[in-house]
Amino acid sequence: MRKINPGGKNLTWFEKLYQSFYNAIVPEQRYLAYIEGLKVTLIISFLAIMLGIAIGIIIAVLNVTATNYRMKWLRTICNVYINVIRGTPLIVQLLIIYNLIFTSRNTNEMVVGAVCFGINSGAYVSEIIRAGIESIDRGQMEAGRSLGLDYIQTMRLIILPQAVKNILPALGNEFITLIKETSVAGYIAVTDLTKAAQYIGTRTWDILPPLIIAAACYLIMVLGLSKVLSGFERRLSKGDSH
Amino acid sequence: MIVTKNLKKAFGDHVVLNGINETIEQGEKVVIIGPSGSGKSTFLRCLNLLEVPTDGEIWFEDKLITDKKANINLLRKDMGMVFQQFNLFPHMTVLDNIAMAPIKLGLMTKDEAKAKAMELLGRIGLTEKANAYPNQLSGGQKQRIAIIRALAMNPKVMLFDEPTSALDPEMVGEVLDLMTQLADEGMTMVVVTHEMRFAKKVATRVLFIDEGVIVEQNTPDEFFDNPQNPRLKEFLSKIL
Repeated sequence: MRKINPGGKNLTWFEKLYQSFYNAIVPEQRYLAYIEGLKVTLIISFLAIMLGIAIGIIIAVLNVTATNYRMKWLRTICNVYINVIRGTPLIVQLLIIYNLIFTSRNTNEMVVGAVCFGINSGAYVSEIIRAGIESIDRGQMEAGRSLGLDYIQTMRLIILPQAVKNILPALGNEFITLIKETSVAGYIAVTDLTKAAQYIGTRTWDILPPLIIAAACYLIMVLGLSKVLSGFERRLSKGDSH
Repeated sequence: MIVTKNLKKAFGDHVVLNGINETIEQGEKVVIIGPSGSGKSTFLRCLNLLEVPTDGEIWFEDKLITDKKANINLLRKDMGMVFQQFNLFPHMTVLDNIAMAPIKLGLMTKDEAKAKAMELLGRIGLTEKANAYPNQLSGGQKQRIAIIRALAMNPKVMLFDEPTSALDPEMVGEVLDLMTQLADEGMTMVVVTHEMRFAKKVATRVLFIDEGVIVEQNTPDEFFDNPQNPRLKEFLSKIL
């Protein structure tokens, strides 16, 4: 082994640290495993966020509409979905969906993961969006309708854009949570970032450095997302003067 | 043009409109007054079905619009509405506020709608505000823009729901001036307001609604100078 500074105790400590991180990254092209895992995490997160937004908007609009037009059955359906998803652990949902619904042999675990996280996130997103919709003055809907726009057009063009602006911080929070929650995807045999780090740890007999590297990757992703979201917030706040 | 037959509206047990029979002809400027809670705003809002009547019929241009099969959205294109709280869309520029509905409803192309919006803005002298957002405008400006937003649809009748009640006193005039102009051009108007001078000057007919029924109606001169009903007399004595 190379000796950089044989005398200094501190440097030996540093050397060890360096060595263990080096082992966690370089040999056997291990960095590729992180990159692969990172890719999987990003894909799952992205698909899940998109699906969560789609489900969230649909459920929120149905819920608000059901409340306005007193359609009890529709409200019940929405509430059952929201309560079941929010009332059960994500990992259990993940395992149930994986084992029960997607039982065919050629299951793409990544898609299963994304769908499951999306369904889960949808429940939270729908409640956030519902709060956003309800924060918009009734007069906005009336103004849209009085111009001849139908209910859906008014929702899409007038209510939702304003609602989204009001709830962007809460929505950002949900997306951040979602990205981090995808780290349990390993439960259904998806090699995401966390799982990749664990594999490397078992090979090097030194689990901490890969986990710290994975943690740093999550942190960077979340900080990046926060940046994007605050950019959005700035763009959307154009209508607010003063 | 608009006919209501035995129009009733109740919110739960609370009866707001108790059988209103009224006919509004093309070109009329009908001003509705009455104490607060009398049902005058509810009556106006029933005309374009923002409130769904509990009973009775509303006919617009010989079509029964209270029929379940009637296309409300089609009807509303012909009925402009102006609200007390303006209800401009805060996330859109002034130009988009005006041009959005005609474009989205396929009545005009983007260019046509924007040209029309600019023409209407020119008419009220606010061309330079086209790209401003509503929150950067004064109340009077907002309400005038709300009025031309409704006009951009080329409506056959304009409904005004207390259009000056949320304005600072010094801004009431500019809004009333625009409404007077519209009246002079022959627009059919139904106006709920507390502005008695406007009623005297512009109305062809004034209605007094109290406790959900039309208690008295007349030409403005007769209405104000020679009121018959004791409740109207009392109301006028309080406000004039």
